[in-house]
Amino acid sequence: MTQAAPVTKKKPVSKTTPKPMQNLEITDHQATVGKCFADNAKMTMRNVNVFYDDKQAIHDVSIDIAKNEVIAMIGPSGCGKSTFLRSLNRMNDTVDICRVEGQICMDGEDLYSPKLDVVELRARVGMVFQKPNPFPKSIYENVAYGPKIHGLADTRVDLDEIVENSLRKASLWEEVKERLHQAGTGLSGGQQQRLCIARAIAVSPEVILMDEPCSALDPIATARIEELIEELSQNFTIAIVTHSMQQAARVSHRTAYFHLGRLIEVNPTEQVFTMPEHQLTEAYITGRFG
Amino acid sequence: MSKMSFENHIMKQFDEELEEVRTRLMEMGGKVEQQLQNAVLAVTEADSALAELVIKEEKYVDEMEVDIDEACILIIARRQPAASDLRLVMMVTKAVNDLERIGDEAKKIANHAVMLAGESTSSQGYTEVRHMGKSVISMLNNALDAFARFDVEAAMRTIEEDKQIDLEYKTALRELATYMMEDPRSITRVINILWVVRSLERIGDHAKNLCEQIVFVVKGKDIRHQK
Amino acid sequence: MTKKPMTDSSNHLDKIKKSLSRRNRAEKRFRWYGRMAVFVGLAAVMVLFTDIISKGHGAFRITYVELQVTYDQDMIGVENLTDPAQLALGDWEALSKAALRNEFGDVSGRRDKRKLYGLISSGAGYDLKDRLLANPLLLGETENVWILADDDIDTYYKSWLDGEPYAARMSAKQIQWIDELHAQGKIRLQFNSNLFTRGDSREPEQAGIRGAVMGSLLVLILTLMLSFPIGVSAAIYLEEFAPRNRWTDFIEVNINNLAAVPSIIFGLLGLAIFINFFHVPRSVPIVGGLVLTLMTLPTIIITSRAAIKSVPPSIREAAMGMGASKSQVVLHHVLPLSLPGMLTGAIIGMAQALGESAPLLMIGMVAFIVDIPAGFSDPATVLPVQIFLWADSPERAFIEKTSAAIMVLLSFLIVMNTVAVWLRKRLERRW
Repeated sequence: MTQAAPVTKKKPVSKTTPKPMQNLEITDHQATVGKCFADNAKMTMRNVNVFYDDKQAIHDVSIDIAKNEVIAMIGPSGCGKSTFLRSLNRMNDTVDICRVEGQICMDGEDLYSPKLDVVELRARVGMVFQKPNPFPKSIYENVAYGPKIHGLADTRVDLDEIVENSLRKASLWEEVKERLHQAGTGLSGGQQQRLCIARAIAVSPEVILMDEPCSALDPIATARIEELIEELSQNFTIAIVTHSMQQAARVSHRTAYFHLGRLIEVNPTEQVFTMPEHQLTEAYITGRFG
Repeated sequence: MSKMSFENHIMKQFDEELEEVRTRLMEMGGKVEQQLQNAVLAVTEADSALAELVIKEEKYVDEMEVDIDEACILIIARRQPAASDLRLVMMVTKAVNDLERIGDEAKKIANHAVMLAGESTSSQGYTEVRHMGKSVISMLNNALDAFARFDVEAAMRTIEEDKQIDLEYKTALRELATYMMEDPRSITRVINILWVVRSLERIGDHAKNLCEQIVFVVKGKDIRHQK
Repeated sequence: MTKKPMTDSSNHLDKIKKSLSRRNRAEKRFRWYGRMAVFVGLAAVMVLFTDIISKGHGAFRITYVELQVTYDQDMIGVENLTDPAQLALGDWEALSKAALRNEFGDVSGRRDKRKLYGLISSGAGYDLKDRLLANPLLLGETENVWILADDDIDTYYKSWLDGEPYAARMSAKQIQWIDELHAQGKIRLQFNSNLFTRGDSREPEQAGIRGAVMGSLLVLILTLMLSFPIGVSAAIYLEEFAPRNRWTDFIEVNINNLAAVPSIIFGLLGLAIFINFFHVPRSVPIVGGLVLTLMTLPTIIITSRAAIKSVPPSIREAAMGMGASKSQVVLHHVLPLSLPGMLTGAIIGMAQALGESAPLLMIGMVAFIVDIPAGFSDPATVLPVQIFLWADSPERAFIEKTSAAIMVLLSFLIVMNTVAVWLRKRLERRW
C-alpha cells in the first residue's frame, strides 16, 4: 500500500545529546511515508509537480483523497499546501506563470486534460477561501449565483429550494431566513464564511476545498465551521488546508504534512498527532519549527 | 533514542516545563525507591523506628504526586502537546500514579514491619522478604533508570524481571503456607509477612507498568495487556 | 545583556520627553504648512471667482428702451404676412427708426439721425418682425415695445447707473437722449434672455451662447458615446484578458504617454486623419467629438483600469471558484463593482473635454457661427472656443459676455464634478 521507504529508520544517536536540527534537512527524492493511498479514492494525484516560472513549488506529490473523508493539509508557511490545494480545482490556471505537471484525477478522469472544461470542474470541486469573500450582493443572490450560472434551477421555486437547503446545510438558515435579501457583506465574519460554504455547496459539488477557512475567524465562529465540516463530511469529500494543527486534529480523518513543497507524511490524524512516523512531522507538530 | 529529546521547541519555556516535569518525576522515583528500601529494611531488621520514618515520609510522596499532576495539567492546557510531547506528559501522569501506589505499598510494608517488630524475635520468613525485596528494589531501580535514559531495551528487560518476581512470590507463598501449617501459633505473624510479600509483588507490577509507559513514550506503541 | 545598567531607563525617559516637545512642535508646524497650502489654493480660487463674477454678472442684464411702435404696412412694404419672400424683403428696420423719430421729434440732419438710430440694436427690426409674426393682429396697430438698446448704449447706461459713466463711444446728443429716456422711465435693464437663446453675433447685445452650448453638448454626447464604451472595453481587455507580455507592456506605456500628450497634438492628429484623410467636414461636432474622444480615451482607460484593479481579487476568486467563466466574472462581478469608478473617470474625462479648446482650434471649430447647430453635422463651436473668440473681440461689451460665458462653463464643470462625486457615493458598494 505505502510507498514508505525505510527513511524513518532511527539512527543510533548518543542518548544524552539532543538531535541537532540540521539533521532534519530533507534530501531529494524522499518518498512520502504513511498511508498515501486509499481504496475508495475520490481524487488521485500522482507525481504532481507545480512550478512558478522556474521555481518548483510542489515536488512529486502522490496522494489519494478518499470518498467522504476530511483530509487536512498542514505544514509551515510556504510549504506549498495551498498551491497544491489550488491545483486540485485548477485555480492556479489564472496565474500565468504557474505550471502543473503530473496526473490529477477525479473518479479516474484527468482534470488537466484539454477536453475537460474548467467551468464544469469547478462546479464539481467547490472552494472556500481564507478570507470570507461573499459577493457584495444579497444573501439570497450569493447562494443562488452558482445554480444560476450553471442553470441548475428551472424555476424560481426550485431556486428558492436550493438556496434554503444550502443555507440549512451550512447551518445558517435560522440566522438569515428573515433577511435573505439583505447584503451578505453585512453578516459577521463567521456567518460570512458559512455563507461562502453555503454558496459552494449550492451547486452540489463532490469535493470541497477549503483554504484556511477559519484563519480570519474567532474561536467560536471557528468551532461552528468545524462542526459544519464534520456534518458536511457525510455528503462531501473535503480537503482542508490549515495553519492550526489543533484544527487539523479536530476535524480531519487523515492528515498530510507538507514541507518545502514535498509531501512528507500522510497518516490517519490520530496517528499523526500521537505518534507521527516522520521526524519532520514530529518536529512540526510539537512546535520545534514552523 | 534520538526521538526522545524534549528540547528545541520554539517556545523555550515549553522545553523548561517538560524538563522540570521529568526531573520532578525522577526525584519522586528516587524518594519512592528510598521508601521501599527503608520499608524492606525495617521488616528484615525489625527496625520499628525506620518503619515509623517510612510511614511519616509517605506524605511527601503524596505531595509530589499532586504537584507533578498539576504541572502536567498545566502543560496540557497551555501547550497542547502533540506526538512525543503528548506521550511524555500522559506517561508522566500515569507514572506518577504508579509511583504513588508504590509509595503506598511501601507504607503498608512499614506498617507490617512495626507489627512484626513488636511481636517476637523470630526471624522466620525474613529470608523470603529479603530475597524478594532485593529483586523488587532492583527492578524499580532498573525501571527508573530506563526512564531516565528513555531506554526501551532496558525497559523491556525490566518487564521480564516481573515474571521472576511473580515466581518468587509464588514460592514465598508456598513457604509461608508451610510455616503456618508447621506452627499454628505463628499464623498471625506469617500473615503479616504474607502482606509484606503481597505488597512487594504489587510493587513489581507497578514497576512493570512504568516500563510499559517508557515503551509507549519512545515507540508510541501500547504494549499493555499483551501476551 | 546590555552594558549599561538598568537605571538608565529614567535617563531614556528624559531624552524621550525632551524630544517629545520638539516632535510635537514639528507636528504642529507641519499641520500649519498644510493649512496654509489649502488657504492659498482657496484664496486663488476665490480671487478668480470674484474677478469673473464681478466682471460677468452685468452680462445677465441688458438695457432696453421703450418706444411706441406703429406696425405700418406701407412702411414695412409687406402685404401678406404669410409670404416668406415678402417677409425677407420687408424693411423692418423702418419700424424702429420711425419709432425713434417719433420719440425724439427734434432730430434732423443725417449725422444726428444716425446717432439716433444708433441708440437701439441694429437687430431691433428683426425682433419687431418676430413680434408681429407671432401676433399678426398687431398689423396696423400701435403699441409700446421695449426694444433692445445698442451695446454702446448698454455699456454706457450700466456704467452710468454704477456712477462711473463710460462715455468714450457716446456723443453728447446720445447722452442727452438717454438722460431724457431715463427721466421718463423709458430706459431700463432687463434680464438678458438673448444670452441663453441666441447664437453668436457680431453685435454684442445680440450675441448669445446657445450655439456654443449646443455645440459643446453635441460634441460631448459624441465623445461620451465613443470614448466610454471603447475606453471601458479596452480597460477590461487589458486588465482581465490580455496576457502579460512585452506587447501589453508596450501598449500600457503608450496609453500612459498618450494621457500626457498636449491636447493640441490631438487637434493636429484630427486634422490630418479625420479631415484630410477621411474627409470629414471641418467645424462640425462629429470631428470635434472624434478628436476629443482620442484625447479622453487615455484618461478613461487609465481610470477604468484603476477601478478594475481596485475590485478585490477575493471577489474574482470567489466567482471563479464557483465555476463562473472569465466573462461571467467580469460582467457579473468586476464590472458592477468598478462601474462607479469608471463613471467618475468618464465624467472627469468629459469635464476635461468640455473645457478643451486647443485641439478644436485645429479642426476649424473656431469659426464664427451664428446658427445654432441642430445636429452632429452642422457647423458648430463650443463654449471654451466661444470664450476665446469673445475675449478676442474688440467691443467693450464682449468683456462682460466673456466672463458670463466663463461662469456658464464653470457651472457646467461644477455640476459635472458634483454628479461624479454623487454617482460615486451612490453606486459605491462596500465589500
